[in-house]
Amino acid sequence: MSVQNYYLPESLGEALELLARYGPDLLVIAGGTVAMPLINEGVSTPVQVMGLRRTGLDEMARSNGNVKIGATTTLTRLLEESPVPLLRTAARNTAAWTIRNMGTVGGNLFSPPPAGDVAVALLALDAEVTLTGSGGERVVPLARFWTGFMTNVMQADELVTAITLPVPTGKTAYIKYGRKQAHTPAVVTVAAHLVVEGGRVQQARLALGAVGPHPLRCPQAEAVLTGSELSEDAITEAAQTAAGECDPFTDAIASEWYRRKMVPVYVARALRQIAQEEAAS
Amino acid sequence: MKPKIVSFTLNGRPVDVMVRPMTTLQNVLRRQLELTATKAGCRQGSCGSCTVLVNGEPMAACLLPIEDVEGQEVLTLEGITPLHGLHPIQEAFFENFAVQCGYCTPGMIMVTKALLEREPRPDEATIREALSGNLCRCTGYQAIVQAVTDAADRLHGNGGVS
Repeated sequence: MSVQNYYLPESLGEALELLARYGPDLLVIAGGTVAMPLINEGVSTPVQVMGLRRTGLDEMARSNGNVKIGATTTLTRLLEESPVPLLRTAARNTAAWTIRNMGTVGGNLFSPPPAGDVAVALLALDAEVTLTGSGGERVVPLARFWTGFMTNVMQADELVTAITLPVPTGKTAYIKYGRKQAHTPAVVTVAAHLVVEGGRVQQARLALGAVGPHPLRCPQAEAVLTGSELSEDAITEAAQTAAGECDPFTDAIASEWYRRKMVPVYVARALRQIAQEEAAS
Repeated sequence: MKPKIVSFTLNGRPVDVMVRPMTTLQNVLRRQLELTATKAGCRQGSCGSCTVLVNGEPMAACLLPIEDVEGQEVLTLEGITPLHGLHPIQEAFFENFAVQCGYCTPGMIMVTKALLEREPRPDEATIREALSGNLCRCTGYQAIVQAVTDAADRLHGNGGVS
């Protein structure tokens, strides 16, 4: 059976009504860069579909030390207008111009690994996800949003409407390692945010992409870094620890073995970037 | 399944198409309107051969439900090709041997058009970055990058360099 209805609601209210009517039978798309390839291949055969392009959920605003990004903000706008440099870097490293003009920040949370290169940065920035349903809004830390490969904590009547994050107070680093310099799936993506004061790491957040069922934080490696002087020894230990915390997979891009080998290499490079910036400041 | 009518501007002219829900812009262009410059390489958004401009922005026609372009302006390679002769970007691709089988060329040219409208004199890194979503399996990219630089000269003058 082919698509019976493709709805293009013009407000959040309209979108939520449709979601309440159809529940899990309604496929929700925004930029279409995740869902359309599966539909074109015949892998996904939705009957009822809703597109979010006209819902107006694409505002990006900064207030009270937070940045709030509407779910349907395109990756191109994130690249050009994000007040957070780490997010601009992440957007630049995601797909290519054509796809960034279509793909959205909210949609990136639903991009199966090794995709999801913006989500990794959002995770390192301690972002929160606003879920809006018929009963109102709730806010979930991104670190608790995913429950497995392509699964998450959302209810059938909820939409991701915004992503909010505190403006980073520390230094950040982002490295995506792929087979090409651009427009490439990741072997591993690393995003880090460290607050260093008085020569010691006060707060560490380290996130990895493409090496697990979803982007993941590395709490043990973060613990190694916290309180350290970000010495080469601490960086090496944190990098090795991170390699033990991820859960890589084999695909056309890289094997599980290779990904696990590359995790400490790229974690260490990202941390060294921050250490060098600290030393220079 | 109800067919519906979608209206948009295609290459400067208003068109109405009767479609099944969620038909892609790519299929409307190629199958319904028989405008086959827009290619169908991967239908995954990975190859760039179906790139068209929507309101001046490059987009993958294979990933775009036709309903999403209702009321929008779509430009394809047919829309920039003059009745006689070639567009300066087409000339530049032709004369720099940036075409072998030609399948990637329409997408490359549409991205080049959007790029040169934003940046009249892009450097090589900018050109490579802009074209990174367009795959060519014949020529390699050197001739294509040269063609884009040449197209910039043709469109905006060569800045006094002979």
